[in-house]
Amino acid sequence: MSTKIPIGPFHIGLEEPIYFKIDLEGETVKNVDMINGFVHRGIEYLAMQKNFFQNLILTERVCSLCSNNHPFTYVMAVEKIAGIEVSRRANYLRVVADEVKRIASHMFNLSMLAHLIGFHSLMTQTMEAREIMQDIKESIWGNRMDMSANTISGVKYDLDEGQIEYILKRLDELEPQVDEIIDIYFNHKIVKARTVGVGVLPKEDALRLGVTGPTARGSGVNNDVRVKAPYAAYDELKVNVILEEGGDVHARTKVRWREVKESIRLVREAITNLPEGPVVLDKRPHIPAGEAVTRSEAPRGELIYYLKTNGAQKPERMRWRVPTYMNWEALRVMIPGNKLSDVAVIFNSIDPCISCTER
Amino acid sequence: MSGFLKIAIRNLLKGPVTDPYPFGKTFIPNKLRGKLKVDPKACTACGTCEEVCPSGAIHITKNENVYVHTTWYNTCCFCGNCEFFCPTGAIKLTNDFHTANTEEEKYRFTTVALISEIKCESCGEMFVPASEALLKRAYPNVNDTIRELTKLCPKCRRKKAFERLYQ
Repeated sequence: MSTKIPIGPFHIGLEEPIYFKIDLEGETVKNVDMINGFVHRGIEYLAMQKNFFQNLILTERVCSLCSNNHPFTYVMAVEKIAGIEVSRRANYLRVVADEVKRIASHMFNLSMLAHLIGFHSLMTQTMEAREIMQDIKESIWGNRMDMSANTISGVKYDLDEGQIEYILKRLDELEPQVDEIIDIYFNHKIVKARTVGVGVLPKEDALRLGVTGPTARGSGVNNDVRVKAPYAAYDELKVNVILEEGGDVHARTKVRWREVKESIRLVREAITNLPEGPVVLDKRPHIPAGEAVTRSEAPRGELIYYLKTNGAQKPERMRWRVPTYMNWEALRVMIPGNKLSDVAVIFNSIDPCISCTER
Repeated sequence: MSGFLKIAIRNLLKGPVTDPYPFGKTFIPNKLRGKLKVDPKACTACGTCEEVCPSGAIHITKNENVYVHTTWYNTCCFCGNCEFFCPTGAIKLTNDFHTANTEEEKYRFTTVALISEIKCESCGEMFVPASEALLKRAYPNVNDTIRELTKLCPKCRRKKAFERLYQ
């Protein structure tokens, strides 16, 4: 005797609109069907109507939590076509912006996990620790989410002594808080009861489905773009890849928390060894005809941009593949066999970004 | 369990972490990107900000002898592109983030700057002169001869500069 249960598209347990059709047997999920397409905004078409400088901001507005990686990958594509060499200082500053965003994005997802397993006070505590990152973003880039750090041929901001000191001071404040919260996420019995052994994605399936980001690294697949195909300053700042073998929600949680620690280390290293030089070229470059594909490691996984230009002021075609697109199919492996109450937790564990995927 | 209990007790003693904002002070960093401030003296109505504005919030229109630089806050996304690409540094984003407005103020919720034209000293035609900031960007050292030239319309300036070359 099976029951059909719909979750979504607008549901209290989901961050973003997606529709799950769930076949239940007793309390166990037998089969799941997922339907998306509720937040399509036509951004790909809009990108072709705007010039290269307007697209810097438009790509940022695709999604607020990976809002640095979209323009980052886009400007790398433009620079590849135009053959622009970015200065070392600008590359370091790009890494700083990227890692600050990664910390904030991971901590948001982890606090959502605490919320979904019913540990509400842990969620508020994580969010409060995250507020330090928001303060840094506000003080250095001027906005809490959309930092607008990248521009063609460099970055829009520069760090002076006082700002570097400020970031270091706030990071020193953040790290003990993170250590304290990590201990709860790793060892607390409520968190463990709801996450260990839930939503298992075996390594073979992870390889077969080509999942990216912390979802893959939680299953022991190393596909970190920062290490496999270094861009910006990542070949100079050695990134330690975080791998966990469990493949369940708990393993992905562990990957995210350890990546937060790794990102804090990277930001510290980048701003203390900031090379001298210009942050942006004086002359605004001409973008010739051509096409390019670039990729970067967004907080959720690998982000790929394809850009085609025809020598005009606007792109001829722009298309991007976002990490959630690959992680999405893995839900069909993760969800069946679990309890109905775990569906939202498993869905959250891939760090879904539906507004990126449907744009 | 003791780990979280420690945090909970500490938070209990520390009191609320939220700001009492509309009734009290809040944290406003200097670099916060808020409303625009346009310096009409430095602006030359070149239209760069209009070109790079992703949301189309900036409009430069021409009335009689004056260019009107309008920013609509109901469209503006506070990205700072106009400030970054402005060649003369006429646009600055202030840290004033107060954007709550009534429906009645919808069409008045703007920043308007008037860039007036001047009369050419030689032929009397109206034109927008190059601002001091633009001159500093174009010439390594701005002297009085160059400043004299800014009082002439492009046509007369070309003539004068040509004469100067062959005298």
